[in-house]
Amino acid sequence: MIEDEQMNDSVIVIEDLVKYFDGRCVLDGINLKVPRGCIYGLLGRNGSGKTTIIRILLGLEPPTRGRTFLLDADSTELSAELHGRIGYVAEGHNLIQNYRVGRLIKLCKDLSLQWNDEFFNHLIETFRLPTDRKVKELSIGMRAQLNLALAMAIDPELLIFDDPTLGLDTVARRQFLELAIDLIQQQGRTILFCSHILGDVERIADRIGILAAGKLVVDCPLEELKERVKKLRIIFPESAPPNLYLTEIINQQNQAREMVITVANWNKQKQTALEIFKPSSCIEIPMSLEDMFIECTKPNPEYIES
Amino acid sequence: MYALIKREIQDHIAYFIGAAVFSVVFIIISFSLISRYDSRNPPVFLIGLGVPAATIVIFGICAMGATQMYLDRTRKISALLSTLAVSRNRILLARIITGILTILILLVPLTIAAGILVRIFTPPVPMFTGMVFEISITVYLMAFACYCIGLQTGWNSNPLTPSLGALFLTCIFIPLILIKGFGVHIVVILVLFIVASLLRTWHTFMKTSL
Repeated sequence: MIEDEQMNDSVIVIEDLVKYFDGRCVLDGINLKVPRGCIYGLLGRNGSGKTTIIRILLGLEPPTRGRTFLLDADSTELSAELHGRIGYVAEGHNLIQNYRVGRLIKLCKDLSLQWNDEFFNHLIETFRLPTDRKVKELSIGMRAQLNLALAMAIDPELLIFDDPTLGLDTVARRQFLELAIDLIQQQGRTILFCSHILGDVERIADRIGILAAGKLVVDCPLEELKERVKKLRIIFPESAPPNLYLTEIINQQNQAREMVITVANWNKQKQTALEIFKPSSCIEIPMSLEDMFIECTKPNPEYIES
Repeated sequence: MYALIKREIQDHIAYFIGAAVFSVVFIIISFSLISRYDSRNPPVFLIGLGVPAATIVIFGICAMGATQMYLDRTRKISALLSTLAVSRNRILLARIITGILTILILLVPLTIAAGILVRIFTPPVPMFTGMVFEISITVYLMAFACYCIGLQTGWNSNPLTPSLGALFLTCIFIPLILIKGFGVHIVVILVLFIVASLLRTWHTFMKTSL
């Protein structure tokens, strides 16, 4: 019953999503649920399929197999009204390049269900965006800011950011994050956030997904990820054994008596299994999100789902 | 919907102005030529004028459809629009309405002018009025069919199929008009072609990634 309620309260649902491009598998059976009010950080290396997931979710790209739902509606049948409740900042900032900024703003305003003029004008002033210039004459950072302001102005229920801080300088990035945090404080708003800048994700996301080799290898709350993924330096009295027979080893490196392993879901059972090999010492190496990301995106990581 | 149509008109304003200018120029030339000649011989030079004019109209309208779709594809206009409170259906519908408006701007003045010329130069027999009506309907549908071909050509990365379709249509049309003249059979073929063409455009536009 509780599970059903949680399912119904998921703003984003992805079921067994598979996508092939020219015979190459980009997404291989992705399953994901993002609950209402969650700030979900989707991470992955270049070409791992983050943008493809977002494009499929928004109905811009057809899936090869599987289904995706946004705000309880199938992505392939999203109505105009539903699109009006979703703010989207695209990677590379998909804006009509030959339009003047003012004209693009007017077009977006005319095509929106609701438009928060006060907030939008505040953003335009904060970002100092010139409305009389053509979009193609703006810098990448300014385009990102314009795209962000347009996405925010519609007062969206769901915000999808595909690498929104790409091309922004440090000050603009900080402004963006502060703005995102402001939005987060407004109840019921859900954010799907893809970024290469892990510090940004770590700062605002409360749940993390990591894509590697077409699979979602991590899907859990950020704090839980930090608790569950452990990097251990183990010293053995003699040479390190080639295999510890532990499950969910993300990465393992052996060098003479020393073994460095990154393991998911570290628990007492695994601790006991390790002690069978009678190690001389076992020290935990602290890991940042970046370290975890690097470990998880190495070839053949196992799932770390909650 | 109004905002979408307005955007299409603004983006392709050159075609609207071109259609209006062409229409006015054609009417002025026709009337000025007619006024110089004996009223018993007008069709000879009108045919001479009509053939190049029809060619320009066909290519112009086809080019408009192709430009609308090609610019959308290359500038990723629909990719942006469909993330706003707009469906792909509405984007395509607005585009087609804009195309129809251009055709009307081009052909309505010409039809009125043709009607006036027929009244001046032909005896008041219903046959001539009927003939003008049949020719007008055929020309409107032909123009729209050309526009549909343009839509398909502009959206396809490989324009061979729509081009072959256009060639096939031309091969059927010219002998039909020469042998049987204008009439219901031409209208039926054109309507079928337009429906098939629009369905194909709609299907491609709805299913391809933006």
